[in-house]
Amino acid sequence: MKFSDFMNVKAISSELTADNKEDAINELVGALVDAGSIKEDDRESIVKAIMKREELGSTGIGRGIAVPHTKHPSVDQLVGTVGVSSEGVDFDSLDGEKVQLLFLLVSPPDRPGDHLRALENISRQLRDETFCRFLKQSKNADDIQQLLEEADNNQFVS
Amino acid sequence: MRIVILGGGTVGTSIAGLLCHHGHSVTVVDRDAAHAREINNELDVRAVTGSASQSSVLFQADVLGADICLAVTGDDEVNIVAASMAKAMGARRALARVYAPVFRDLSTFDYNRHFNIDRMLSLEHLSAMELARGIRNPGSVVLENFARGELEVQEVVIRESSDAVGVPLKDLQLPKQVRIGSLCRGDKTWIAGAADTIELGDRVTLIGRREDVEIVHELIQKERAAKQGVVIAGGGETGYHLARTLENEHYSVVLMDQAPDRCEYLATHLDRTTVVQADATRRRVLEEERVGTADYFVACTGDDENNIMACVEATDTGAEHVMAIVSRPDYAGVVGKLGIDLAVSPRNVMAKQVLGFLNSGPVVSRTSLTGGSIGVYEIEVLEGALATEHVLANVPLPASCLIAAVMRDDYVRVPGADDRLSPGEVVVALIDDVSLEATLTQFTVNGK
Repeated sequence: MKFSDFMNVKAISSELTADNKEDAINELVGALVDAGSIKEDDRESIVKAIMKREELGSTGIGRGIAVPHTKHPSVDQLVGTVGVSSEGVDFDSLDGEKVQLLFLLVSPPDRPGDHLRALENISRQLRDETFCRFLKQSKNADDIQQLLEEADNNQFVS
Repeated sequence: MRIVILGGGTVGTSIAGLLCHHGHSVTVVDRDAAHAREINNELDVRAVTGSASQSSVLFQADVLGADICLAVTGDDEVNIVAASMAKAMGARRALARVYAPVFRDLSTFDYNRHFNIDRMLSLEHLSAMELARGIRNPGSVVLENFARGELEVQEVVIRESSDAVGVPLKDLQLPKQVRIGSLCRGDKTWIAGAADTIELGDRVTLIGRREDVEIVHELIQKERAAKQGVVIAGGGETGYHLARTLENEHYSVVLMDQAPDRCEYLATHLDRTTVVQADATRRRVLEEERVGTADYFVACTGDDENNIMACVEATDTGAEHVMAIVSRPDYAGVVGKLGIDLAVSPRNVMAKQVLGFLNSGPVVSRTSLTGGSIGVYEIEVLEGALATEHVLANVPLPASCLIAAVMRDDYVRVPGADDRLSPGEVVVALIDDVSLEATLTQFTVNGK
């Protein structure tokens, strides 16, 4: 699975303003609403679902990265987006560090395989230090979109 | 490689240490926060606190991108569930450590297949196999169970002249389900071809279904040495597996255990082993059971000190070879000095198995044959692999590669030239290092 299979590039947020977990997630879901991937009516319910998953254990997996995700019946295909925060978001991460990179994913419940493949793709690409560094340094959504494309073309991970 | 180890107990920690030492990137998951911190301090690993069977914890441990996930907590069910989840979440390989033999038994339920776990490993079974190897084939490494025990690789030394000696292999009437894998003559080892002949003194590797291998074994090794006596102290899982392995061969086995209930169990489950209820750490018992006349004495009670002590006593009463399970690594130095011929450390045995699974691409596991460049490989047949395009006779495999067996689910067959491999199968092949790359190109898909 590639980023282009589930990322809505119109929802990419290069400058997150939120400084805590819930606000950051709300901001990213909001961006997906604005981009037309999610209906405004479902926004609250999706944010709630993602927060509920976070309660089980933070998806802030260290190195300034978080991958908040959920399955939700309101979407009929995988939708995802990227947020970058230069200040960092307090995400209750494993290593206690603030998070600068957020990959958010919402999948329909009836496609568990695709959901896992998308998460796997995200986690595989984020292992590359260069990819992460470039993402954190990116100035605007176009930069980020380009980095995702390059990642899809296996320019970061062999 | 990226390795996630679930369970930071003695087994998990020692494997983590070993894998770090080999330069791998290791994450250890343990339920106990203080313990996880301790591991983190001692080793260059990432430690995550939480239960191995929880998806949130596996996610944090980045099991999604792991090359291999080892579930080695002290709990069989947790290991099975966690390994299964790890595989489903994206780990390339998943191994689960299990204690109860039922999990490795296929007759009622196939746990491996149902849970999609690459291998269930029992520390006790592996240790028993290591001891059995020390008894059967001193100085040799081979004798592995592949295909979940359905397939056996056995090494036979041709000591006496039999009808098979001097005859080209293609003219030997071998059962179809057995292959002669490799021949070792002097210091040269090679993969046997149809025109090769067996000579006196050769070391021959047989591969096939277990029963059939025994038949061939008898065919090419006309007479066997007199029955050897083995006394096993301790009827736990290790002792039981060892007795069961040896009793089917040419050994007379005496198994001692202290607990009456356990002896009852052992006696009903072992057909040809003499089960004795006795305390093997008592000198008097060793003398009564005539350990002094035994060819092998094996101590595998659950206690290192008792094992070592029993071995020293057994040597003193005259046992020819003594072996023991010794878990504590710091005892390793002293066992040799005490005259113990073989000390098996369950952790090391497990670690060795795990190292065999650290392969990329379609290779599932690799085991080396004795003193040569030949390995026994388990290789996955992937969708779209070149090897699936033709019948075996027409697959351009190098000469020093022998496809010995093909496994589909729990069924093993020795393939003929007209057989064609299909995706989902696993082949067991003997491959010389020089041909490894050429062989693997037939099994890789798009260079992966």
